[in-house]
Amino acid sequence: MNDKTEVQQGTLALMVLKTLDVLGPLHGYGIARRIEQISGDLLSVNQGTLYPVLLKLEQQGVISSKWGASENNRRARFYRLTASGRKYLKAETSEWEQTAAIIGRFFAVKAEDLR
Amino acid sequence: MKRLRELLQRTWSSLVRRRDEHFSEEINEHIAMLTEENIRSGMAPAEARRQAILKFGPVEAITESYRGQQGLPVLETILWDARHALRRLRRAPAFTIASVLTLALGIGASTSIFTLIHAVMLKSLPVRNPGELYRMGKEFRCCFEGGYSQENEFSIVSYDLYKYFRDNTHGFSDVAAFPAGIALFGVRRAGGAEVAQTHAGEYVSGNYFRMFGINPYAGRMLTPEDDAPGATPAMVMTYRWWRERFGADPSIVGSVFNVDGKPFNVVGIAPPGFFGDTLRTAPPEFFLPLNMEPLIEGDADLNKPDTHWLEMIGRPKPGITPSTIEAEMRVELKEWLRSHWSDMDAGDRAKFPAQTLYLAPGGSGMSSMRGQYGRWLQILMIASGVVLLIVCANIANLMLVRSLEGRRQISLSRALGAPASWLIRQPLAECLALSLMGGAAGVAVAFVCTRLLVHLAFAPIPGFTAVPIDAAPSMPVLWFAFGISLVTGIAFGIAPAWMATKVDPIEALRGRTNSADHSASFSRKALVVAQTSLSLVLLSASGLLITTVRSLEDQSLGFETNRRMVANINARLAGYRTAQLPLLYRRIHDAVGAIPGVSSSALCLVSPQSGQGWGTGVWVSGHPMPGPMDNNSSLWDRVSAGYLEVIGNPMARGRGFSEVDRAGSQQVAVVNEAFARHFFGDEDPIGKRFGKDPEHAGQFEIVGVVKDARYVVYNLGDPILPYFFLPEAQAEYGEQNLGSLFLHDMVIVTEPGATLSLSRLEQAMATVDPNLPVISFGSLENQVAFQLGRPRLIAQLTSLFGVLSLVLASIGLYGVTAYNTSRRVNEVGVRMALGASRQNVTALVLRGAFSLVAWGFALGIPVAFAAARLLRGQLYGLNPYSPLITIEAVAVLAASALVAALVPAVRASWISPSEALRTE
Repeated sequence: MNDKTEVQQGTLALMVLKTLDVLGPLHGYGIARRIEQISGDLLSVNQGTLYPVLLKLEQQGVISSKWGASENNRRARFYRLTASGRKYLKAETSEWEQTAAIIGRFFAVKAEDLR
Repeated sequence: MKRLRELLQRTWSSLVRRRDEHFSEEINEHIAMLTEENIRSGMAPAEARRQAILKFGPVEAITESYRGQQGLPVLETILWDARHALRRLRRAPAFTIASVLTLALGIGASTSIFTLIHAVMLKSLPVRNPGELYRMGKEFRCCFEGGYSQENEFSIVSYDLYKYFRDNTHGFSDVAAFPAGIALFGVRRAGGAEVAQTHAGEYVSGNYFRMFGINPYAGRMLTPEDDAPGATPAMVMTYRWWRERFGADPSIVGSVFNVDGKPFNVVGIAPPGFFGDTLRTAPPEFFLPLNMEPLIEGDADLNKPDTHWLEMIGRPKPGITPSTIEAEMRVELKEWLRSHWSDMDAGDRAKFPAQTLYLAPGGSGMSSMRGQYGRWLQILMIASGVVLLIVCANIANLMLVRSLEGRRQISLSRALGAPASWLIRQPLAECLALSLMGGAAGVAVAFVCTRLLVHLAFAPIPGFTAVPIDAAPSMPVLWFAFGISLVTGIAFGIAPAWMATKVDPIEALRGRTNSADHSASFSRKALVVAQTSLSLVLLSASGLLITTVRSLEDQSLGFETNRRMVANINARLAGYRTAQLPLLYRRIHDAVGAIPGVSSSALCLVSPQSGQGWGTGVWVSGHPMPGPMDNNSSLWDRVSAGYLEVIGNPMARGRGFSEVDRAGSQQVAVVNEAFARHFFGDEDPIGKRFGKDPEHAGQFEIVGVVKDARYVVYNLGDPILPYFFLPEAQAEYGEQNLGSLFLHDMVIVTEPGATLSLSRLEQAMATVDPNLPVISFGSLENQVAFQLGRPRLIAQLTSLFGVLSLVLASIGLYGVTAYNTSRRVNEVGVRMALGASRQNVTALVLRGAFSLVAWGFALGIPVAFAAARLLRGQLYGLNPYSPLITIEAVAVLAASALVAALVPAVRASWISPSEALRTE
């Protein structure tokens, strides 16, 4: 696994958590669609890769799942954020923003600014 | 935290069921929803489903990675291997049971010896943070030192010096003191009807329990307030004594006990497991404050600044290094010595600059047993390790045969593309499963063996508490068993695993092969050679030890043991003053002599081979003073009239003691031949005079010489030492502090056919003084046998291991020979068809077997000699390179190898050539 996909896995997990935070309990398909809508092509190829990530998050206890009925009356598994997941998301969000801000500032610096 | 939770979840789902089915349902739903959406956006149903599947991604790969995330693949592989290995083992029950049993023997023996090593040599005292403790003195020293100088190091101290250290050493948060030797007391519950019984007890400083961090089980422990002159006498009992002797009676706490006739309050019970500061064969059963010593002892040591009898152990303050404290204490030692300058004699003053002290880790206590038992435990550990190696070799051999049988399957697997790592895992897993089962059974074997060993090796002195060693496996012991099981499993698993990788995939296609197992047969032969040589080492070692014990037992003692009984008394404990002793001795002699069946009796300071001895320097009147390098020491004994006749030590010249030798008449002595030789050479010793110090060189006149007898056993391999006897009737009873006036042992001769029971003796003694208990009682034969108990036990155990190794090595040889013969049936058939006789065939097979045995001897003999070098200290002077014993070991091994090889050899000779040629 190269660095790029590792970063993507991490970001994917964050996106899942944020989606569940915003939209509430949702099934895998719903999460995939939402992420696709927002992120464009990140997930456009393999929606299935979402599932190992969901499993891992569930094992970590940040999300939980339950079988239920979907809008179209299909059986589906619904994922929801747990209390510890909400806390984790909050922590991760602020950390992410911090990192992004620092990187952003670095990229904004031009050669003449350093003279 | 999250990671840990994930790990636990994954482990859990690896071990229990998983939920694959649900996942495929989830995938189906996902794809169905995608399809519906595609249809809604206008695609044809078939195209919609195709696009949906494309968008979802590779279902198989995703399912695989989902499964990987569900469990722990590594764990699952291990579980799978284990299940597979167990299934395979179940299919070969005979092999499995035989291997597990042999392993259980090997691992059990090692674990059992390790349990003892752990208890005696490695275990810390059961006190708070034993690793922090430091004691004074590098070497073990017992039990008294006089004066103001000590050789090499100051290791035991007087109470005065202890107080000086305690009050001035800032590095210790607490430093406690207790006597270097254990003391015996006559103890009984106050108000009870029973007579006093002898028990081991220990004086301890008031801060002893605080320093060790020992909290009471009941009541309270001793405190510094108890350890002050004039304090109410208090004592603390061990839990063991309280439970075993008094049935854990709670009313004991607060009750009064008479210790040597003085009342002591039992203030508390020490916690279970606490056995004091030192692991001993007869641990103390109660503790008294040091300051109570003058209350009990007429001749108290407490207030003599120049009598050193206390050990010190302390707990440094946090952050203070022992070397800092050591430096501090060395200065204090010099200060204290200087303050006693006027009391010091010239010798002490001369040695003053060299006086120093050392601190040593004290967490495992004072280790009196470590010195006694350390060496032979090491020997036994090595011996049991060798047995375990032979067990490994045997099972490796069996495994190799199994792996040959499994060759077809392995080569088929290889042909189908199984990687080598996968093929190695299988035999390894099987071996580990075997060895772990063997280890589990071995722990049970070890438990039984350890109980037996503790009983045999540390035989309790009758009437005393047994050694506080627990046979039940503790955590370190279980880890040890688990560790050696793993190591043995890998050890005997490597060869078959390696063989598995050597299998050629083409074999599967070729069918039966005869030539392919060349390397396997080499490994098997090498294993048999190793077994033979190891077994030879054990056999010759046990031969040496047995020969030693036998020669010790056979040597003529020089005194009689049959019909002789030995009783042990202690008049000092019963409160006698020296002036009362002559009358007491006469009354004892008369009372015992009046018992029916007793023909004679006599008292002595030490009876033959009691494990004790009194030594002194000897100055001969008229001879030049001995120089500093001359050895003028001799052992001696104070005996009552008739002792030499009672013990049956014949006179060589002159006379024994008689009625003439009374108090006031010329003091006389009887010496042994070694004494006469050593001090007088060719001179006639009769009529010569000697003394126990240079000022009294003319004190004793030699009136007789007795034949040499083996009275002490610590130097069994050496010539008998000089020894002399003094008559009790002429003893200096005016000297109140002379310990040698108290005769401890009584030797009683019974009439032929008569027996003397303890109760009969006690009755007789009660007529003399009911407060004078018989401490121990037994035959002189047993006393002598007891002295040889330890060398005999090592010899027996090593022989047991030797026989075990012999049997195992023979089985190994039998296995290899039988297997090789079965593979050579064809060849044998051809040979016989060409005219070979049965004898030729038998010889052929035997030759093969004995070439292995010969290699084993060639490798084993040098190792056996090296092992003998290690044993030298245990052989009491026997030549460790005794060729006779090596030859015997070789002969025994060769004979059993012959039996082992003869069976397959004879069977081979009965092969009918026509049948042999038909079995292709």
